[in-house]
Amino acid sequence: MANLGNLFMGLGLVAAVVSIMALVWGRKLGPKEGEALTNTGYLATYGVLAGLTVSIAILTAAFFGENFALEYVVQHHSTDVSSLSWLYKLAGVWAGREGSLLFWAWLLSLFAGYVAYKRMSVTDELSNMSLAVLNFVQMFFLVALFIPLNNPFKITPAAWIGPGGELLIRAGMNPLLQHWAMTLHPPTLFIGYAGLAVPFAFAMGALIVNDSSKLWVEIVDRITVFAWLFLGIGIGLGAIWAYVVLGWGGYWAWDPVENASLLPWLTGVGLLHSFTVYRRRGGFKKWAIMMTAVTFVFVLLGTFITRSGVVQSVHAFQQDELSFWWFLAMMVGSLLAAGYGVVVRGESFKGADEFDSLTSKESSYYFNNVLMLVAAVVVALLTLSPAFGGKTYGPDTYHAIARPVGILYVFIMAVCPLLSWRNTDGVQFWSKIKWPLVATAVFTAALAYLWWTVLWPIHLFSNPSANPLTSVAHTYEALTAFAVGSLAISVALWLFITGARKRAAAKGESFLSALGSIIFKARTQSGGYLTHLGMGIIIIGLVGSSMFVKDVKATIDATPGSEFEVGGYTFVFKGIDEQTLPNNDHVTKLNFDVMRGGKLTGTATPGQIQYYRQDQTRLDVSVIVEPLRDIFVVFEGSNQADELQMNVKINPLISWVWFGFGVTIIGTAIAMWPRRQRAA
Amino acid sequence: MNKRARVRLIGVTAIILISVVAIVWGVGAGDGSYSRSVSDVADNAEIAGERVRVTGTVVPGSWDKKSSPMRFDIRDEGETGGPQISVVYYGGVPNTFGDEVTAIITGTINEKGVLESEDMITKCPSKYESATGALTIADLLGQGDAVVGKSVRVTGYVANGSVRPPGGTVRFTITGNGGSGGPTLDVFFDGAVPEGMGDGTQVVLGGLLDESGVFDAVSVSLSDTEQ
Repeated sequence: MANLGNLFMGLGLVAAVVSIMALVWGRKLGPKEGEALTNTGYLATYGVLAGLTVSIAILTAAFFGENFALEYVVQHHSTDVSSLSWLYKLAGVWAGREGSLLFWAWLLSLFAGYVAYKRMSVTDELSNMSLAVLNFVQMFFLVALFIPLNNPFKITPAAWIGPGGELLIRAGMNPLLQHWAMTLHPPTLFIGYAGLAVPFAFAMGALIVNDSSKLWVEIVDRITVFAWLFLGIGIGLGAIWAYVVLGWGGYWAWDPVENASLLPWLTGVGLLHSFTVYRRRGGFKKWAIMMTAVTFVFVLLGTFITRSGVVQSVHAFQQDELSFWWFLAMMVGSLLAAGYGVVVRGESFKGADEFDSLTSKESSYYFNNVLMLVAAVVVALLTLSPAFGGKTYGPDTYHAIARPVGILYVFIMAVCPLLSWRNTDGVQFWSKIKWPLVATAVFTAALAYLWWTVLWPIHLFSNPSANPLTSVAHTYEALTAFAVGSLAISVALWLFITGARKRAAAKGESFLSALGSIIFKARTQSGGYLTHLGMGIIIIGLVGSSMFVKDVKATIDATPGSEFEVGGYTFVFKGIDEQTLPNNDHVTKLNFDVMRGGKLTGTATPGQIQYYRQDQTRLDVSVIVEPLRDIFVVFEGSNQADELQMNVKINPLISWVWFGFGVTIIGTAIAMWPRRQRAA
Repeated sequence: MNKRARVRLIGVTAIILISVVAIVWGVGAGDGSYSRSVSDVADNAEIAGERVRVTGTVVPGSWDKKSSPMRFDIRDEGETGGPQISVVYYGGVPNTFGDEVTAIITGTINEKGVLESEDMITKCPSKYESATGALTIADLLGQGDAVVGKSVRVTGYVANGSVRPPGGTVRFTITGNGGSGGPTLDVFFDGAVPEGMGDGTQVVLGGLLDESGVFDAVSVSLSDTEQ
């Protein structure tokens, strides 16, 4: 099995090399003479896909058959016995460093196969060279898979297995990973990572064949949105997992590996918007090319951070010097290649950039790009700082940057659709923004009321001796974020309403069917507006759930009837359920009735699970979800006196983050789905 | 391109960049922490009040997970003696915390030299340890009853075919001599044996010899000669 796996990975590698050579050679011979070779290059791309598909199938089969002959299966096999155990068996494939790299390479071969399938009937020079670049990237990954620490098909040491085939060591999937969100988090993230290699490959292809037309952008535009969407979903799932599994009450800790996944997402926002300008105005050409490279390099930086051990993180896998140099070379090489190409092809890639005024649509796209790039570079530098002997930065530093940049960004995002190309006419702009401003004032007033009655008292509770000056900054940030979030929501809603009304009047349709038409016909545009709407909701949720968390610890007797109170909620202890599962995992669950104003509002069942095979304990948190707040209940354990140590957090507005996240995903999916009906 | 618009564009870009740099500079100075080793901060009066990030190994038995706040000692990674510092930790205890775990603790050293922290992440212990200074089996057994119940480090080779599943009294046996021959020692250990341990590998054990002659191991590492 191990040999077969390595064999097919090796065949994939050979196919990748054949494809690159055939495509490059075919181009040399010219379109006529080189046709057979070029076609070979396309077929070899399918060969890579076939080889890697067999490899990943072997690994998957090994997990389902619990084949302990593979060391990777021993280390990451699931021990779960719940109804989701099949999912965790599957998740073993990407649960560790070796399998996840193979999985990534496989996804990359799927993207390459899709590109080959789409462009095989055309076999234009641009596509041929881009496919060669894509297979070149693939080759790097496949070589990395043969570095021993990255190889998923290593044989298990004989001493780990007993005579009856039973496992002699305690090993298995990290129990923290045995959660539905965590099984889906890596694959969605990796779809995003792998997909973002495609725009980079086509940018390089465009440079190689010296074609600065919008052709390459039109080919990769939707694949890029698709990849960016999945990257976003992956980040969101990771946040959900961190929230419900890690038990510290938050969802984003600015941990190096979290940051690494955020970086390509940020530059991806910039990249997508520069594609719009490239396509529609013929501008931002060099910029778009550099953004594909920067985004791709940030994708690699993620795996570089986790694999090289340059930065200490909860996520970091074992250090490996070979991977360090290999991925570093890949990152530096990609940036240099793009930079060199842009310089050499400078003349033909000169864009028709027209900045006639600071308030034009072009400018808002420009600042969008600048802010995203600056944010990504700053986060990258702060994250990598300890690797260069610098300081390690905590959340305070990240927040100090993220909050003002985020507020400015959402503001630009909110007004951008109301601006005109080249020059925005003041009177026209005012007529558009008038009603959204009224709505913004109403929303902001409501949120300010919430802030004064609910959020500010929480801030006073956790910071009784808060410096008035810092509180003023805190207040200012919270209220401005509420205002720009409201503005983003109002503008997006207004765009939908006026769009539908205009269409209804022009076509004689009812308002609702007109609304349906603009959402499902002008999908790029309405999907974009919906994404903006979601971002507005998210920023409001972020203010509540990151700036105003009430965190209370309580110790109570382990006798039924004992109670404690947090933020108006009374928790009445009912009893303990304990259970040992067939796999020897031990589950402890506490039962609480949760009362508010003397009325029962729900039950909370926080607990702990002791995993036998892995020799680890995991907190099992209980969350009560309300529209305006989550009540997050953690059982931290018993103390010497057998009292129960409880931790309760009230997280205001956190549901808004998840809801806005959902809206953003639906919006992006709508924008990506169809072939473009008209230039949006 | 309109010249005035260009100047304004560059101007606004510069303002954004300068503000971001200023914020990082201003806030980062107060927030960030330099990485220090345990020996850097132990008995170093100059460092009191500074925000530091210390990486060290949790000294076995120095902690009680159920006390609040939790107190424990750490020493430099890969050392078995040498300087230690005490830590008072106010945050939630990570799931993977335990003896010999590598803890990365961010906090402030108070005037008593104690590291006060609310921020800790843990990594699994390095699976390699130096055998220097560890007793051989012959040394250990040669000391007779005097050594029973005392915390010691001992090194030996895993006897061929001796590794059993956890749960029993004897997890594996070590010998003095490359897998077979020489004096032997049965080892009790309920934790996870390190990846890569197999017949004939040299291991370094921390723990104590009980009255029945079984070595009750708290930690099992591979000898660094196995790397």
